[in-house]
Amino acid sequence: MNRKLLGLIPFLIFILLCVFLYQGLFGNPRELQTGRLGQQMPSFTLPDLMSDSKQWQESDLLGEVYLLNVWGTWCPTCVAELSYLTELREQGVRIIGLYYEQGYDPDFGDQFDINKLRAEVNAMLARTGNPYQFNILDLKRTLALDLGVSGAPETFLVDKQGKILLHHTGDINQRVWRAKFAPKLMELTQ
Amino acid sequence: MIPEIGYFALVLAMALSLLLCIFPLWGAHTGNLRLMRAAPSLAVGQCVFVLFSFAILIYITLADDFTVAYVAHHSSSTLPWYYKVTSTWGGHEGAILLWLVMQSSWTALVALMSKSIPWVLRARVLGVLGFLGVGFMLYTLWMSSPFERLLPYYPVEGRDLNPLLQDPGMIIHPPLLYMGYVGLSVSFSFAIAALLTGKLDNTWAKWSRPWTMVAWGFLTLGITIGSWWAYSELGWGGWWFWDPVENASLMPWLVATALLHSLAVTEKRGVFKSWTVLLAITAFSLCLLGTFIVRSGIIVSVHAFATDPDRGLYILLFLAVVVGGSLALYAARVSQVRSEGRYQFFSREVALWVNNIFLVVATLVVFLGTLLPMIHKELGLGSISIGVPFFNQMFSILIVPFALLLGIAPMLRWKQNKLPPLAKKWLVILMATITITAAWLFGSFETVAPLTFVASALAVWIMLSTAVDFAQKVSTQQRLSEGLKRLGLSYWAMVLGHVGIAFVIAGVTITSAYSVERSVRMQPGDTASLNEYEYRFEGVKEIVGPNYTGHAGVVTVLKNNEKVTELHAEKRLYNIGMQFMTEAAVDDGFFRDLYLALGEQLGGGAWSLRIYHKPYVRWMWLGGLLIAFAGFIVLADKRYRKSPSKGNQQEATS
Repeated sequence: MNRKLLGLIPFLIFILLCVFLYQGLFGNPRELQTGRLGQQMPSFTLPDLMSDSKQWQESDLLGEVYLLNVWGTWCPTCVAELSYLTELREQGVRIIGLYYEQGYDPDFGDQFDINKLRAEVNAMLARTGNPYQFNILDLKRTLALDLGVSGAPETFLVDKQGKILLHHTGDINQRVWRAKFAPKLMELTQ
Repeated sequence: MIPEIGYFALVLAMALSLLLCIFPLWGAHTGNLRLMRAAPSLAVGQCVFVLFSFAILIYITLADDFTVAYVAHHSSSTLPWYYKVTSTWGGHEGAILLWLVMQSSWTALVALMSKSIPWVLRARVLGVLGFLGVGFMLYTLWMSSPFERLLPYYPVEGRDLNPLLQDPGMIIHPPLLYMGYVGLSVSFSFAIAALLTGKLDNTWAKWSRPWTMVAWGFLTLGITIGSWWAYSELGWGGWWFWDPVENASLMPWLVATALLHSLAVTEKRGVFKSWTVLLAITAFSLCLLGTFIVRSGIIVSVHAFATDPDRGLYILLFLAVVVGGSLALYAARVSQVRSEGRYQFFSREVALWVNNIFLVVATLVVFLGTLLPMIHKELGLGSISIGVPFFNQMFSILIVPFALLLGIAPMLRWKQNKLPPLAKKWLVILMATITITAAWLFGSFETVAPLTFVASALAVWIMLSTAVDFAQKVSTQQRLSEGLKRLGLSYWAMVLGHVGIAFVIAGVTITSAYSVERSVRMQPGDTASLNEYEYRFEGVKEIVGPNYTGHAGVVTVLKNNEKVTELHAEKRLYNIGMQFMTEAAVDDGFFRDLYLALGEQLGGGAWSLRIYHKPYVRWMWLGGLLIAFAGFIVLADKRYRKSPSKGNQQEATS
């Protein structure tokens, strides 16, 4: 009898494994359950992308609901979502850009050319439309790291008190917007 | 029309496979010899049609028939002909067809080379193989046909083969790996046939052993070549990443290694029978699970295969039927198995049993590291990530007792041993190991970390104890030639395999401990030094390939102001996908590799370059080749070609 039960163990373990594999099949492995949800925006002091004199802090963003969109001109998916984000801005959604620079690598003693980057960004936004109120430049990726950003594009929904309500990995399109962001935004404005 | 013929050939192959599954199994069940006799010809027949279908896929790829979706997505007219051929397994549909080619060829081989096996067992083995064939063929025909057309709107040019796959290593890596995976299905079929027959004696172990050895050899070769390909093609000198897809091939390898050793015990001593059967089932199950992981996209991997939940669901269902069915059968039959042999604690049986425990624990580590993040998330506990440090740490702990045991186990005899004489011998070997390791490391490197010393000593320990055992076995005869003649081929295989492991351990240890790299910004004429070598950047020249353009950084390597070699590190831009690819330049040597990758253009004629100095890195792949060769040696063993009635006349050495 004991031997029989022992022989069944591999079978039972396998059945359990199958249940998990089946569930996993319908989950998206790239979707992150971020630890930042429900928490405050991390504190930061970072320069504006377009102006040398302006510095932004987390307190400057309080008071209104906004989207924080992590992007870069080097990222094709980010570029693809710019025109949809511009439509959203026209509907009154407040979008703040967190510019994530990729080409800069201090290991090689690279000279970072801010004017070249500004020209690139301006040219890009002139083509696709500009969804952003302003852009924060996160050259050393400190804020991105604090937010748990794993790549670009990623978008956070933040409320008036600076609390992070959503973290979306990947592009925003009409489908994602309607399914994920619009309902949350409705809740907040009511 | 031609692609449709390919599809139709597969339909015929599946019909034959279906018969191959039904007739022999039914015949074996009812004792109908005529039905059982149909098995070999059905097995060969289905193989012919699968090969024909594969030949057609190659033909339409060479003919640039872009009306076929698979060809349009994975090939292009500018691709060199040999990469056109390999593009037939560069994508999902083609890779599965290649799997089928392997599956049906192994089935046909088993049919042809099993003439001396009793009909009941032979018919069941072939029937199980037929069932597996049906499963994969149905999948190909239903969900992943490479013959699907893009009519009426088809492109005039294909999308080209992923540049990463345009490399000689990639031509042979997947076929070898599949040979291994599918080869393990033969061990699996033998195990299931034995369970069905209800006779788990050492006959099945004896028949299954050479097949398992060869499959394991291919798997080893596939993994080794894959590692070498990653090293030369990915441009940052890494050779193992603990990526889910690599893990998917490592798990069956670990279990198959355990299976080899366990089969030896079952064949020679008639013990561990049910454990061996379970290992045979597990090894192939892990191959299927690996396929599921890779093809279903449930886990994030650097290997970007096209993923599709429907396909994943089919593979999962197939997995559930095959593995669930066999484990249920196992549960039903295992209680009837009785061990025959008796043995004491201090014996080869126990040593091999402990070896199995280590290998299974290592498999569990890989398994948990790969699947736990997904399970964790499905349980609603949040996303976690298990990375390289976890695997490295676990394996560096496991390898120590494993390698120690590996050194001494071959000296143990079956049943029982006396400790004192052996212990004295081991002590001498241990002293010699420490001395040699110290001389070697302190003589070659400036600093030696304690862990590096321990790990290197393990490699030396295995080498020395294998050498001592070898010398003793040979010296039992008066003349050297007589002594060498008396060693069985399986003993040679063991020696090679163990020496191979020693090489792998030494290579991994030394290259991990003493590899150095530098990122430099260089203008033509600049030099940079790393260890005892000087690298002089001569400049960058344009290169034009058949389907790419790019730059090659030319670097002269100097040692003591004498030219050692000239390296050309390339950065290619593939025309169709507009993808950049790094083609690292490697000056390989037995004791060190000089590895150079060209980075970005930095302006003012300057480029960024990464230089790596990697000592002993070749030893890893050399070890892999030795291990694989150990698997192939048994093919020459006449013992496995004799009919069972003649038995084992040769000395039992395992």
